[in-house]
Amino acid sequence: MRLSVGRAGSPAVFVAALAAWLCTLWAVGAITLGVAPIAQAENRITLRGNYYREQSTRVLAPELQFSVDVLDERLTVGGSYFLDVVSSASIATGTADATGGDNVFTELRHQAVGTVASKLGPWSLDAFFLYTTETDYVGRSVGAGVGRDFLQRTLNLRLNYAYNFDRVYRIFGSGGRRLAWCGGSYGPNCDRYPDGTNLLQTHYLSASYAQAVHPTVLLLGSFEYAYLQGPQDNPYRGMLIPNAEQESHPLKRHRFALWVGPRWHIRKGRVTLEPRYRFSADDWGVFAHVAELRLYWRVHAHVLLRGRYRFYTQSSSFFFDEGYMYEYDEGEFCTRDTPSGCASADPKLSAFHSHTPGLQITYELDGLARHKGLRWLERGFIEANYNYVFQTSRFGPARALGSIAFSLAF
Amino acid sequence: MRIAQRRVLLIGGVIALSAASCVTVKPSQRQYLALPEMEPETGADEEEWQTHVESAREGGFGGHGAAGGGCGCG
Repeated sequence: MRLSVGRAGSPAVFVAALAAWLCTLWAVGAITLGVAPIAQAENRITLRGNYYREQSTRVLAPELQFSVDVLDERLTVGGSYFLDVVSSASIATGTADATGGDNVFTELRHQAVGTVASKLGPWSLDAFFLYTTETDYVGRSVGAGVGRDFLQRTLNLRLNYAYNFDRVYRIFGSGGRRLAWCGGSYGPNCDRYPDGTNLLQTHYLSASYAQAVHPTVLLLGSFEYAYLQGPQDNPYRGMLIPNAEQESHPLKRHRFALWVGPRWHIRKGRVTLEPRYRFSADDWGVFAHVAELRLYWRVHAHVLLRGRYRFYTQSSSFFFDEGYMYEYDEGEFCTRDTPSGCASADPKLSAFHSHTPGLQITYELDGLARHKGLRWLERGFIEANYNYVFQTSRFGPARALGSIAFSLAF
Repeated sequence: MRIAQRRVLLIGGVIALSAASCVTVKPSQRQYLALPEMEPETGADEEEWQTHVESAREGGFGGHGAAGGGCGCG
């Protein structure tokens, strides 16, 4: 029995989507999970410049990425280097004692990632290792994913796992002396509390789904879970809290997220719609919703415009106080049973919302590649985007969030 | 052929036919799905930057793919 698939927008499209969901349940029940179109069937290098600006902070972040098919798509290796150049006003971030006063200080964070991916028939396998370092933080992450195609490659299912193990430190004075940050406290060996450690561990697991349910409709979704154990407070923000010397957050956190993001191409207008919704929650009491709409308009064969609007809202954590007024007990851990051990000046844990409109333009270089001597530009592109973030948190609005990229295939 | 064997073949045939009918988009119909704006991998680099900023400015989690490493962004 074959389904009769109607034109985009007709009720038959939604019937097709329902049938596709039912077929998905069958496929999941019959065969183990897996699938991810990770391995790219081309070599590519991309140079990207990222930018972020708000009242007290400016971030410049150049990035270089590459991927190479070693043995066609059966083995792809890749890598990237990312430099975070963050300039902040020290009083606003609580780091005045580290900078010797209210100064603008600049911190550099280096990040390198290596990836390997393989596509063998309907199966996809990939793995990565990430290393990041700055003066008071060293992060490492390792992960792997497995995916599988079903239903003549119209359905992809995928599982990912990643393990992060980071070391957190606190810098003292302009001399740069560094001590381990143990979560609400610091010391050379984190021996202030039993089992004290400056190791922040994160276990991350995700399951994702992608299915073509119509020649112009793609359904996408994912479920994610993360468990964090270790110091998750800021070593410097205690200066902003009247009744506490240090910021103190719970040492454990369970986080969940559910995301859907279908794509629908409308042939007549050469427009693609991408609505997105994400719900996330954790056991600190932060519940967040994201609703976003992206509209892509192919104004020319090689020019793509994208407009986006993103709405974000979240609740505050159970221990956060807007006025930073805490009855802080230094001898207690921060938990739901002992909230007196909690003190936070983290705007990310307050209740707030944001609106983000943005524009992006992509120019595909295939048109230029037709000219003599410029064939090397084929499948390359130039991309630029700009967003403005209206947010009601203490960070204030972000006047610029964007990037410029130049990418070549070879 | 015994009745049990016939039933197994019949059930297997129904499953195979139902699996074939679940393919809603034939390979010849996938030209629009190949457009960059319909390909989830397109824009993955920009998505990483957005994820980095959101993790440093919001308390929410997820929605952008596999986790990366941490930073002192808190």
